[in-house]
Amino acid sequence: MKQDYGNREMIFAALSGALYTIFGIFQIAEGFGINTGMPEMIFIPGDIPGGSCLMVLGAVFLYGLKEMLQGINAGVSFVYVGILMSLVFMAVYLLVMGGNMLDSIIVPEDYEGWNIMEAFRPGIYLGFLPLMGMLCWKDRFSLHEVLVFREGA
Amino acid sequence: MTEKITVALAGNPNVGKTSIFNAITGSKQHVGNWPGVTVERKMGKRVHNDVEMEIVDLPGTYSLTAYSLDEIIARDFIIEEKPHIVIQVIDATNLERNLYLTTQLMELGAKLVIALNMTDLALAKGDSIDISKMQEYLEVPVISTVGSRGGGIEGLLDAVTDELRKTRPTENIFTYDAGIEKRSGEIETILNSDPYFAHYPARWFSMKLLEGDESIIKKAVESDRYPEIREVLDKTDAYSLESRIADQRYRTIQTMLRQVCNINTNRLSGSDMVDRVVTNKYLGIPIFLSFMWAAFELTFSFATPFMNMIDVFFGWLAEAAANAISIPWLASLVGEGIIAGVGSVVIFLPNILLLFFMISLMEDSGYMARAAFIMDKVMSRTGLHGKSFIPLVMGFGCNVPAIMATRTIEDSRDRLVTILVAPFISCGARLPVYVLLAGTFFGRDAGLVIFGLYALGILVALLSARLMRSTVIRGEDTPFIMELPSYKLPTLKGSAIHMWERGKIYLKKAGSIILVGVVGVWLLASIPAPGSGGTFASGEIYGTTNSVIGFTGQLIEPLVAPLGFDWRIAVALVFGVVAKEIVVGSMGVLYGAGEDEESLSNILAAGAMTPLAGLGLMVFTLLYVPCFACIGVIKRETGSWKWTLFQLLYGTTLAWMLAFLVFQVGSRTGLLA
Ligand SMILES: Nc1nc2c(ncn2[C@@H]2O[C@H](COP(=O)(O)OP(=O)(O)OP(=O)(O)O)[C@@H](O)[C@H]2O)c(=O)[nH]1
Ligand SMILES: [Mg+2]
Repeated sequence: MKQDYGNREMIFAALSGALYTIFGIFQIAEGFGINTGMPEMIFIPGDIPGGSCLMVLGAVFLYGLKEMLQGINAGVSFVYVGILMSLVFMAVYLLVMGGNMLDSIIVPEDYEGWNIMEAFRPGIYLGFLPLMGMLCWKDRFSLHEVLVFREGA
Repeated sequence: MTEKITVALAGNPNVGKTSIFNAITGSKQHVGNWPGVTVERKMGKRVHNDVEMEIVDLPGTYSLTAYSLDEIIARDFIIEEKPHIVIQVIDATNLERNLYLTTQLMELGAKLVIALNMTDLALAKGDSIDISKMQEYLEVPVISTVGSRGGGIEGLLDAVTDELRKTRPTENIFTYDAGIEKRSGEIETILNSDPYFAHYPARWFSMKLLEGDESIIKKAVESDRYPEIREVLDKTDAYSLESRIADQRYRTIQTMLRQVCNINTNRLSGSDMVDRVVTNKYLGIPIFLSFMWAAFELTFSFATPFMNMIDVFFGWLAEAAANAISIPWLASLVGEGIIAGVGSVVIFLPNILLLFFMISLMEDSGYMARAAFIMDKVMSRTGLHGKSFIPLVMGFGCNVPAIMATRTIEDSRDRLVTILVAPFISCGARLPVYVLLAGTFFGRDAGLVIFGLYALGILVALLSARLMRSTVIRGEDTPFIMELPSYKLPTLKGSAIHMWERGKIYLKKAGSIILVGVVGVWLLASIPAPGSGGTFASGEIYGTTNSVIGFTGQLIEPLVAPLGFDWRIAVALVFGVVAKEIVVGSMGVLYGAGEDEESLSNILAAGAMTPLAGLGLMVFTLLYVPCFACIGVIKRETGSWKWTLFQLLYGTTLAWMLAFLVFQVGSRTGLLA
């Protein structure tokens, strides 16, 4: 029986899983007031619930990696669904960023000293990785059934 | 001359009955991708081929043996009101279970037309169904439809009018083994000899008796011939017979299915893959919570610019009104009464729209049923039933449909508990109070405070359920079974319509009840109290203790003084029982927002209220008496004033105690001072 995933899926899961988890941890640490020195460099805000969400995304990828390493065929589901979820979060943060921008035009006095990059959250730029994954495995994301692949595991 | 007929839409839950109903009648009844959306019957009209049809949309039901209230409504309509034609809507991707109901409808002798719905999904899945063979086999017209896009509706209506003209004896294509047939024959003979049973087809009635259907037995007991029937029934074992009958029905269905369709089973579908992840033992709940947070984040952050736009608009309106009107009392009515009052409610329209947009995404995608499944363990630990979950989530929009949605809960005690705790789930109407107060007093942490209030509402609901379950409403736990629908990509159009429908209700409310409410508050705030001199709506009267409202407000102030509330809040809370939005609306009127472009938020922040009292007010608003509409529906659905009063007293006592705790502990420890 042919496996439905290869090294590419596993590397992807490992990379995305690690990144989302690490950024999530930083974001939570910042939220608790621990200075990690990271925020200035890569716009990590202090945000406990937001950081937890990133960690959940990371966990989804890592769980898929674990199953794939165990040779469970359907473990690749976690990669595809993880991609979809990350993109949902990316869209959410982009909308929030758009809202902030619009607001800074309507009530500029509330936004003195505000920089648009403050809204450029990790949820957005980390999303480019899953976006690439989505483009790479385009054929797996058909519209009607969201995802389709052969039963194997 | 046109003929008038009734046509019922029946079928399993979530097969697209309401979608087809909407397509036929052009109405906009609530559609959602989870079982149990429709819980009462809805009527609509349509004229086709000179026949005037009254179309009735029914709740879903798996069989004609009903367990929950919504199923009973569907069953009773079909059995007792005998519609001329029953359209059974069938989910083409789930034929076997759907055809089980078909066998029962046929036995009932109903004139049946089958709408084979969701054929687009079946096709995408790779199934093929031979419709003409199916028609031949069932001897019933079968029309392929796509309800969500209105496909095949004309053909379906043609089939209905055709069927009307046909006269052909109903045949029982379902025969059972000799043992069952013998008993059924014996009972039928008894039934046919008693006019009491003439209303029901004898064959169907006898099969139901043999299956041990409780409500049918109850009907039979009232007949004089019941002892004879009992004699036959005693010769059988209802339990084993019920499963034997079901077994044989399924066998007939399978024989047929093998001939008419080819189902593709060798693929793990997208739905299966998504389910593997979102219902994962460890990840399911965290994923659910992170989606909730995302929805929450979007509802607030994305709404801010639009709220500011509305704010700017009302500021401009107030100024224009002040300049245009020279009569002082009229200027006050328009500026401080109507514009400030209604404006402080309308400003929250963007939040409400986004909130409902999120709820509709959750409903339409199919995730709602999964969330219920994931949360079942948590729920059952608190004494709530897994099926209580969806009604509670609906409550984030509005508690009234939430309480209606409890009709799908089979056990009456589970249902009662759910109804009693549902009002603690924070509905959209309470949102304005939070956004206003949290925004005023908690600045950057406003989001967290609001999230905390939602969490508090959920916690109170769960703990109260636990408390009630172990004291006043004891009972056995019942198992949770729910069919998981397949995922569907929500359409932007569908969600937008849903959002707009709710937004319209909100705006209408702002233009009616709330308008009347705030004008009432303004009037009472302008009329001088007996004994105090001064003129109507003058500066020294308006909104002070010299007005009627201030005078009476002061009488009730002692009740809420320990919570740090003044008489204005007391009055606002009393009016808030009409509709929770009025709490904010009347505060706008009473604190004189609207004059000098001062927003309510600025007035409060400037010292009209302490942050602690603000927090307490949010907690109080969350938990105290629900609005009139909600009280009405609690009474109707529990059928008891006793339980309704219990809810009101319980909630208000709890609200008072928690707000008291917030204020007293806060002021003693100097928190938030
Ligand atoms: N793809 C597809 N989706 C459909 C079709 N018909 C209905 N739907 C979707 O199926 C879901 C259920 O539709 P409803 O009309 O609410 O079903 P219902 O039978 O009234 O459900 P209950 O009231 O819960 O018994 C919704 O998400 C619809 O958009 C169809 O033909 N094709
Ligand atoms: Mg329906």
